[in-house]
Amino acid sequence: MTDHDEAEKPERKSLGGDLILPIGAFLFTLYYFYTIIDVPRIAQISAFFVGSILLVLLVILAVRIGKEVKAGTADLRLGPLVEPRSFIPTRLALFGLTLGFIFFIEWLGFTIIVFLFLVLAMLLLSKGQNKGMIFGVAGVLAIGGYLLFIVAFSTRFPAGPFEQLMEKLF
Amino acid sequence: MEFDPGLFIGLFARTFTFWWVILPAIFLGLIVGAIPGFSAANTIIILLPLTLAMDPEVGLIFMVALYASSRMGAGIPAILVNIPGTAGAAATPLDGYPMTRQGRGQQALAISFVSSVFGGLLATVITLLAMPWLSQVAYYLFSVEMIVVMLFGISLIATIAARDTLKGLIAGFFGLMIGYIGADVVYETPRGTFGFLELYDKVPLIPALVGLFAVSEAFAVIENQSILSERGKAAMQKAGWSETLEGVRIALSKWWHITWTSLIGLVIGVVPGAGAAIAAFVAYQQSRTFSKTPELYGTGHVEGLIAPESANNGVTSGTLVPLLVIGIPGGATAAIMLVVLQYHGVTMGPDLFMESPELAYGPFAAMAVTYFIMIFTILPLARYMSKITVVSTIYMSPIIISFTLVGAFVPRQYMFDMYLALVFGVIGYIARKTGYHTAAILIGVILGPLLETYFLRALKMSEGDLMVIFSSTLANVLWVALAASLVLPYLIQRRRRLRRGQEAAAGGTTE
Repeated sequence: MTDHDEAEKPERKSLGGDLILPIGAFLFTLYYFYTIIDVPRIAQISAFFVGSILLVLLVILAVRIGKEVKAGTADLRLGPLVEPRSFIPTRLALFGLTLGFIFFIEWLGFTIIVFLFLVLAMLLLSKGQNKGMIFGVAGVLAIGGYLLFIVAFSTRFPAGPFEQLMEKLF
Repeated sequence: MEFDPGLFIGLFARTFTFWWVILPAIFLGLIVGAIPGFSAANTIIILLPLTLAMDPEVGLIFMVALYASSRMGAGIPAILVNIPGTAGAAATPLDGYPMTRQGRGQQALAISFVSSVFGGLLATVITLLAMPWLSQVAYYLFSVEMIVVMLFGISLIATIAARDTLKGLIAGFFGLMIGYIGADVVYETPRGTFGFLELYDKVPLIPALVGLFAVSEAFAVIENQSILSERGKAAMQKAGWSETLEGVRIALSKWWHITWTSLIGLVIGVVPGAGAAIAAFVAYQQSRTFSKTPELYGTGHVEGLIAPESANNGVTSGTLVPLLVIGIPGGATAAIMLVVLQYHGVTMGPDLFMESPELAYGPFAAMAVTYFIMIFTILPLARYMSKITVVSTIYMSPIIISFTLVGAFVPRQYMFDMYLALVFGVIGYIARKTGYHTAAILIGVILGPLLETYFLRALKMSEGDLMVIFSSTLANVLWVALAASLVLPYLIQRRRRLRRGQEAAAGGTTE
């Protein structure tokens, strides 16, 4: 095969990512069927009806992708799901920060955790630039959120040291 | 319940004198509507001490104004940042957000405001005139008929999935299975809960909404400097007041579209429990079905924005009909209104229209006046609201994640719901990146529990005979309408293609 032939060959589609959601749906449907084995028949009909349609659709998708892979027009790489690759570390770090946000909100309370999350996430995305602006925006939003949601709307957000202090002061 | 023009004119004139109650309620409603997790119902509950202390008429006007404006508020973040404030606005970003990305956010807001106001106003006026007949709708719709109404909503999945039908259907049916999680309404058996007690009461809608739309979007947009496309940025720089006026002109030129989609909302709103989300999706689907350019839906098409916005505002007056006529609230907000009015000793039902017509027709007059005042207060703000789209994603993404996750916590106050929103965020992110539509998943999650409930009730009544779904005349008429709405677009398209082919052939012959 010459270089010219190589250049003219159409680019293969990466369809591995397209399978992730269907695999999740397939496993979940099987698990769901397992949980309704012992329920009355009437309660099973509707779920089996919808679940079976889903399984048929998944099989059709698998066949469609299988045909494309066999024909050499597609492969099973993750493709668009992980593109652009340069953003993978940032995205994973943001995901970690989000998990931390949810985990620590119970102890730190709404205002402190929002401030910390905003500062850290904005610094991560800006690669450490505009520190002054970021601290200012995070501070205004955290305090603004406290005043709007907790003070004005009396929303029962998780309370931490800041909210407790404010309650004692006012 | 007879029509008396003098009563209505007097009622409207009197309601206008309560502008001092309506105005703050409008702004409060716009704010709570725009924040996921904060519904009009929650806000009215929080403000109960205030509304209970008010005169019943003033309290009712306040609640109605807040309710109507929150419906409109929910569409603002849906258009600007792809985050519907409530499930009722979940169909709005389908075409509203693409318009924003093209730099037409200000125009989209103006179109949404005009459609909401005129859709809401029209539905309110028609409700007033047709109250005796509308109140009967709920009597004719039982489980079997409701199954078909639900399937009308589900058929939207096929509409959304027009570009890759298979992927769209997988997303939709996966959503339906997720919607089936929890204990069923008849036997109370928990299914598919992974052992989490928090899921026994079904998958909560707000965490699903927040995760699928907001969190996934926040993770996806960090690749770009802003949510606007390059063309969108250029368009935004040039945008002035003319964009708002152009939006108003476009919306008004589609008056017929606003009219019939708001009527869909009104009729669905009258059915207790059906709600704005179903109305918006059904209207979107019907709008696409009868459109001359169905291929443009999902790309920032004006009619695709008008349909859900006028329909979900049409629902607002519809939900009050069963409340006032038969004392059955059509939704959560209407239920709270019932509590407040009962506290004041007001009894709902036909007698209310004879004994105190000003209180019976009052909510509709209040709604009409609210919509009227709203158009003048909110339209000038479109230009400034749309500026949010130029904010860098460095700031936008973390703000969206933190505030919407907390919004997911608000309705039930379970920490679990924030984790659940994150799980839906991951599902939504994968769906976005691999071409499965997040709106199709959400439709499934919304409709799953409703479809199952009506299915179970119908099957229970027929002792498990599936043919029960064809057992009523009205249901069969609806089945035919459903089949027609699915088949017609293909027939119309085929006819157009044939005609085009014939014209081309005729042109070739003459040449």
